[in-house]
Amino acid sequence: MPEFATLASPYSMPAALHGDVDLTDPEEQTQTRALNQFLAGVELKAFKIAQAALRHEDDALDAVQDAMLQLARAYAARPPEEWKPLFYRILENRIRDMQRRRTVRGRIMAWLPLRGEDDDEEFDPIAQAPSLEPQPVRRLELDEAVGALEQALERLPPRQRQAFLLRTLEGLDVADTARAMGCSEGSVKTHYFRAVQALRAQLGELYL
Amino acid sequence: MSRSDESLTQLERNAKLVLEESVRRIDARTRSRLNQARHAALAAAGTRPRAWWASFTLMPAAGAVAAALLVAVVLWHREPARTAPVALDAPHAAVEDMDLLTDNDSIDLMEGWDGSFYEWAAAQSDAGAESNT
Repeated sequence: MPEFATLASPYSMPAALHGDVDLTDPEEQTQTRALNQFLAGVELKAFKIAQAALRHEDDALDAVQDAMLQLARAYAARPPEEWKPLFYRILENRIRDMQRRRTVRGRIMAWLPLRGEDDDEEFDPIAQAPSLEPQPVRRLELDEAVGALEQALERLPPRQRQAFLLRTLEGLDVADTARAMGCSEGSVKTHYFRAVQALRAQLGELYL
Repeated sequence: MSRSDESLTQLERNAKLVLEESVRRIDARTRSRLNQARHAALAAAGTRPRAWWASFTLMPAAGAVAAALLVAVVLWHREPARTAPVALDAPHAAVEDMDLLTDNDSIDLMEGWDGSFYEWAAAQSDAGAESNT
């Protein structure tokens, strides 16, 4: 049955529901597929960047989801090479909005009776249980390194942290980082240089 | 677009390694939610926002309603002012009397006049007044 070999997996065509007749034109399908591939490629790194800025998993997920929606709705027709800086620009704006809202909420909550931060979170015994899987030494070293880097990143000013993560984790060049951050290339270089200096001061050159 | 690893310092290389490791460690629940978010975004990409010119489709209807309102307002303002009712003067009253006289119904009413009863009632009241005094 060679004709079945050409059928795409249902997950590669999210615009059409299972069993529906797909009436979209081939050009649109190609664009959707390219967008799917792009978003799948950036979503995990974008989540880490959002998490580093917001320090809250659900907020980070919301920020990434909003950025994906905005990109898909407003910029899907743009050339794919523009998507990455656009996506990170949208994500950064979303993160800033959430931080601003959080600041306002914090001011309001300061007037209310004291309440624990984790009151809404249900206790999950499975998540809290220690893993029985034996941890190799290398994994422990990596655990420590991840923890140390995340703490050091938290201490960085937001713009430095953003420049560092976009350049190091996402691998953007200076021009695309400048587009994503909405600033000049010179500012990106400055932020990045200062971030590296600060991390070196905190972690040392060979911290791993 | 991407940077080459050769240009990175040892710290940057280590940081990149550690960050990539932290990305690999993202749990299944988060990955699943990100996957759902991506599919929602792709579904939204198919629904284009309404174009700005689409709002003009209602323009003819809105124009017709506005024109009808304008005509109504103009006609209302051009209607002659209502005059206050004037007091009846003598010639006017005479004309009304003429109307009454020429009206056949009024003449029939006059013809059906039962004067004897009223004359008797008046005489009775006069007699009562005299007996009281």
